[in-house]
Amino acid sequence: MKLYDFELSGNCYKIRMFLNILGINYDRHPIDFFPGNEHKGPEFLAINPLGQLPVLVDGTFQIRDAQAILSYLAAKYDDGGTWYPTSDPERLGEVNQWMAFGDMITGTASAARLHDGLSYTQIDVKAARAGAHRLFRILDEHLWFAEREGRSWICKGDTPTIADIACFPYIMLALEGGVSLQDYPAIRRWTDRVKRIPGFTVMSGIFSAGAGVEAA
Amino acid sequence: MIETKLKWHPIAASDDLAPRHVFDAQLLGQEIAAWRADDGFANVWENRCLHRGVRLTIGINDGNELKCQYHGWRYSNRSANCTYIPAHPADAPARTVCNRKYTTREKYGLVWTAIETSGDVPEISLLAGVPSAPLRAMPINSTADLVEEMLSAAVFESAEDNRWSEMSVETDPSGAITFTGSSDKHLVFFLQPLDSERTIIRGVATGIGDDDIAGLRHLNQCLTTLRAAIEARAAQQDRVDPMQPVYTQVEADLATMPDRGEGSVNGIRVRVASKTMTANDVARFEFVGLTGSLPTGQAGAHIDVHLPNGLIRQYSLTNGPAETDSYIIGVKREPNSTGGSECLHDTVREGDILLVSVPRNNFPLRRDAVRSVFVAGGIGITPLLSMAKTLENQRLNYELHYFVRDDDHVAFADKINALTGKITLHKGLSPEDTGKALHRIYNGPQNANHTYICGPGPMLNAAREAASHCGWDDGAVHFEYFKNTNEIDDSSSFEIALARSGQTLQVKSGETVLDVLRANGVSIASSCSQGACGTCKVAVIEGDVDHQDVHLTDSEKRASAYIMTCVSRAKSDRLVLDI
Ligand SMILES: N[C@@H](CCC(=O)N[C@@H](CS)C(=O)NCC(=O)O)C(=O)O
Repeated sequence: MKLYDFELSGNCYKIRMFLNILGINYDRHPIDFFPGNEHKGPEFLAINPLGQLPVLVDGTFQIRDAQAILSYLAAKYDDGGTWYPTSDPERLGEVNQWMAFGDMITGTASAARLHDGLSYTQIDVKAARAGAHRLFRILDEHLWFAEREGRSWICKGDTPTIADIACFPYIMLALEGGVSLQDYPAIRRWTDRVKRIPGFTVMSGIFSAGAGVEAA
Repeated sequence: MIETKLKWHPIAASDDLAPRHVFDAQLLGQEIAAWRADDGFANVWENRCLHRGVRLTIGINDGNELKCQYHGWRYSNRSANCTYIPAHPADAPARTVCNRKYTTREKYGLVWTAIETSGDVPEISLLAGVPSAPLRAMPINSTADLVEEMLSAAVFESAEDNRWSEMSVETDPSGAITFTGSSDKHLVFFLQPLDSERTIIRGVATGIGDDDIAGLRHLNQCLTTLRAAIEARAAQQDRVDPMQPVYTQVEADLATMPDRGEGSVNGIRVRVASKTMTANDVARFEFVGLTGSLPTGQAGAHIDVHLPNGLIRQYSLTNGPAETDSYIIGVKREPNSTGGSECLHDTVREGDILLVSVPRNNFPLRRDAVRSVFVAGGIGITPLLSMAKTLENQRLNYELHYFVRDDDHVAFADKINALTGKITLHKGLSPEDTGKALHRIYNGPQNANHTYICGPGPMLNAAREAASHCGWDDGAVHFEYFKNTNEIDDSSSFEIALARSGQTLQVKSGETVLDVLRANGVSIASSCSQGACGTCKVAVIEGDVDHQDVHLTDSEKRASAYIMTCVSRAKSDRLVLDI
């Protein structure tokens, strides 16, 4: 299995983390996203005409878009079937709803970070930050009531799903784009829980959480 | 009117401070990190690591200590004292390295604090003595004044639920906005000004349970609608400058200096909460503070205990990290007691008030070893218990070897049984077999290993010899003697020059360096007065030291970089001291 990857990309990190959670070995094909702009070069455009990372190649099958890759990996390799509950229509719908939300977080919080950290000066950073806050208000409310109902994860059920993975990276990296999480306490608690999922991995700017009480 | 630093404000809901979590808060421009320790205590601190100003909200709450993510500085529950600096693993951080903490209360399901405390959390009669539940906090991009104005005109009526109809609104003298309803269904709102243009509404409702999701959702929806209206108006207003909080940082030299502590004069009064026998001839004393919790002792620390008969004796704390509710020590009855252990065993009783010093650490524990080997002989178990517990909390590798006469002599069995590391009891061994056992312990790979030895002199010497014989580096062998059994020779006379103050003083035979320093106005902490504990250590710039202590290692003695001023002297005519 091969992942077209950029170390500092939160979308690529979603895949690296999930592959690690599933215990799957893979090869990394690094793309010089910054400063090389290799993802907009002819070679990579032949692989993904959108010029976006990540792209996964599994045998002869190739797929792009972090959320699509997560659903493919879960449906194929998660033996327990908990990460992408294909046999439960309501939960499946919810997972897809929140994965789309995760992509909206990429469009806002990640855009602000690209502007601040990786010289994407064409981005309207004020609009990107405002958009991220709008999404975070929605997610924080959702998670606060989930806690009241005894739930730990974004979607119903006792176990995390790929929706949690899809939303996590650019929430954690939001401050690098000037978006503070101070107003979102339920989101901050949820990020601790994600960090305690067995197999969780870190990337630059994202730390581990230390042991929870159960494990202590 | 709301923005007064003296006033109490809620900064979180009590259940925002989830176990092993660090909550990100702000009040009047000041950034705050709040975390609940495993003992339930809510710590509300300035959100800045003293070291480089890194936010503590990205740190790790390990249940007892908060660890900063960048350079791993650790701060203790309750006291906020820095307990460990990884860049100086062999030094105990100075006691002055302490995070700024804010006074805290929990009331109405909220966590309260004030930047500069006076008075107490407001008493709200509507909330007195009735069950209530906090609402979801509503952060709003607006000045507190505008929030207050528009909140006072808010309506919480619901078509499906008549609990919040026809309420009368009032502003309490404390600034709380109260909505009094019929039949004990009230709403009380407190404002938390984060900064000049950001405010949180923290609501508390009576007549609603934590599990009343529909009710909580309705009220949250009303506040969300109110927020939209407030923010629309706030966007039209002139901008206000952000508040300017003040953050302090520790000076580099303080942060790296080992604790010289205060002298034993500034003591703490404690009450003997319990006195029990924990082993044959070993009494266990628990001391509690007369006013709240006690200063944090680092792993390996000891306290001076001032006894009713006028003697001062040193005892190691057995406390694990952040255990500041009480100090627990073990005192062995010495057959040749010079009055210390005898007095504690025979005279001191439960309920007595004693004076003790703040904990001082001359036996610091490194937390960067691949493997730590603790070797205890008899009552020497006490500092090692505190060390083992510290490593255990951090899930670091250690083994504990406890040499005792027999089962009846095992002290603190409860604490030992609660440890999950590799514990080995060596019972009733002859000196020869003890030597063999020590060789077995110290044989094998030693890379990044450290050993800590505490016990009676002969056993400690045997352990140091065994480690040295097995090739252990002097710097990896740490020890603490109970007492110095060397015959002190104080016949020499010599000159001491104080590099910093420029004084030159004469030490005559029969006097100690410490006495001469003190007689000339140099204040210097000391504890055991016999060259065992290391408190009166002073750096030497020039001269050859006549070491008579048992605190320094052999290589430290050869280097002559330090002197224990209570017993050691000069071989040369003159010593230049770094004071
Ligand atoms: N919907 C896509 C978005 C991927 C995306 O935005 N990737 C970034 C890197 S993190 C990228 O390649 N951006 C370049 C661009 O969009 O031109 C996904 O989830 O994979």
